[in-house]
Amino acid sequence: MPSSPEAARVAIDRVLCTGHGVCAQTLPGAIVLDEWGYPILRHEAVEPEAAALAVKLCPARALYLRS
Amino acid sequence: MTDIAELLETAGLTGRGGAAFSTAIKIKAAKENGAELIVNACDGEIGAAKDAWIVEHHLHELIEGAALVASGKRPRISYAAHRGSRTAELIARAGLPLLEVPHRYVSSEETSLISLAHGGLAKPMTKRAPFVFGGRDSQGRRVSPTVVLNAETVWRISQINRLGAEWFRSFGTTAEPGPRLVWVGGHVARPGMCEAAAGVSLSDLLDFAGGLPADARHVGVGGLGGVVITAADARTTIWDTPSMKQLGGALGPGIVTVWNPAECPVETAARLISYGAGESAGQCGPCMFGLPALAADWADLARNPTSKGRQHLKLRLSQLERRGACAHPDGVARFAQSALRTLAPEFAAHANHSCQKVRTPKARTAHAQFA
Amino acid sequence: MSGSALWYLSRATGVVTIVLLTIVVCLGVITAGRRRPRGESATIVMGLHRWLSLGMLVFLGIHIVTAILDGYVSISWLAVLVPFTSGYETLLVGLGTIALDLLVVVMVTSYLRHRIPERRWRFVHWASYAMWVVALFHGFLMGTADQAGLRAVTLACAAVGGLMACWRVVATHSDKERRKLIDAQEWS
Repeated sequence: MPSSPEAARVAIDRVLCTGHGVCAQTLPGAIVLDEWGYPILRHEAVEPEAAALAVKLCPARALYLRS
Repeated sequence: MTDIAELLETAGLTGRGGAAFSTAIKIKAAKENGAELIVNACDGEIGAAKDAWIVEHHLHELIEGAALVASGKRPRISYAAHRGSRTAELIARAGLPLLEVPHRYVSSEETSLISLAHGGLAKPMTKRAPFVFGGRDSQGRRVSPTVVLNAETVWRISQINRLGAEWFRSFGTTAEPGPRLVWVGGHVARPGMCEAAAGVSLSDLLDFAGGLPADARHVGVGGLGGVVITAADARTTIWDTPSMKQLGGALGPGIVTVWNPAECPVETAARLISYGAGESAGQCGPCMFGLPALAADWADLARNPTSKGRQHLKLRLSQLERRGACAHPDGVARFAQSALRTLAPEFAAHANHSCQKVRTPKARTAHAQFA
Repeated sequence: MSGSALWYLSRATGVVTIVLLTIVVCLGVITAGRRRPRGESATIVMGLHRWLSLGMLVFLGIHIVTAILDGYVSISWLAVLVPFTSGYETLLVGLGTIALDLLVVVMVTSYLRHRIPERRWRFVHWASYAMWVVALFHGFLMGTADQAGLRAVTLACAAVGGLMACWRVVATHSDKERRKLIDAQEWS
């Protein structure tokens, strides 16, 4: 499936984040969890479709896209 | 395009609160968005005193400066100071709108003040875009356009307006022009305020306070969000961004503190890091768990310095950068990083059980020796 | 389809809806109250919560349409959205209507979550508990004695959901505890 040429940039609202860890599953290359379950953003640019899904699935609404 | 913004652009004034952002750009955006102004006179950093000094000695100029840059026919300006402080008292006595800030380290941070001013808690907010444009907090509450300027920055605005951009540029370096206030304190003969500029040597700064004492071993530049360097470095370093960057730091908000040589510096650093951990706003996991873990690891390393311990600590430090809503964890990490490097000999002494220094009594606070 | 077939279909899909709704609510409770960060299971739970709630709509839709089309009782189309306007069992059908109204608000706000203030979404989402309780009353009280099995299922849903809700109240996790501890300090 062709992805759009422009990558999406994800960011984390650290105040909303309570460490559910869903983003590490939905954006496996870009996000890993620290020992307490909070995300470490390895790189901002991710494939747009994966980004959109990850943003939707975050239970705390802590993941968002940077314009 | 307003005159004052252009004037400030020419003068090259940058924020004096430590972040050094272009004031002209901030003012332009503030005017364009009808932003309300908060003058930050909190002296939030450890060892800071210049905001209080300005309110004490130059209040009229401060008010003038604020009036110059506040926007609209009926500008909204407030002056932020910690509850119960002398600064707060002076502001209230002058009949100025006071934003009373609770006694927390992060409460004087830019977005904390904005949050507090709009009826929220004095805790930092996630900054999706600068709040000069208006925005929302994490819960979606609207925040009207607001800009925060450090008290010294506002004072300098009134000076530039009166004395001109050339006067301002006659101080400092081309890249970092203008006079800067520095409070030199700690283990010096005459702690006090000096007016300096970027490009002076640290030893010149220290001379204002009676010079670097012969027995001094370590000097802090920039408080808890800054770095600690050896006395030897302090004697040879220039106080400007390129030189400070080489030591892992920055100019900072005008604070130089000579550490008390009678105290074990590893202990002093431990106390500061613990203090930093205790001051987390409790909003972001990496800070509210990471900083206490850092403090614990530091204490472990102080008791039992091993290279494995150092590696572990370094990993912790790398996990603190840019993982919070504000720069508090970054600041503490920056400080700990510099302490780890600077205090290598002292850690070695700990490993040999040859550290002779006094253990600080528990009753002392982090601030005590930094006044 | 004959009248009583429609009626039985409505009853059956109604019970399936209650079961699915209970599962969806429980999945939501698991997400909200989770004890430890669990990456994989957290994602599955979240995905199921969303996916099942959509699947539930299918059964709910059939439940409503068949109830209206069934000529034996008079329930107007208006009664679908406006409570207490049904000729048949005004109160009990009205409860179902209220549950549906709440469901619509919950689902619309969830669909639009990123476009509305987070606290609005949160406030409405808490109403899910009320929606679930109202739906249970609707389901249980509309059931008849000759369908004891269906009523038992409804009761079981109430029990399981009730236990989960209790767990939600008492469960805690380190993130919540740390925030609470620090919130007790002077912040304003």
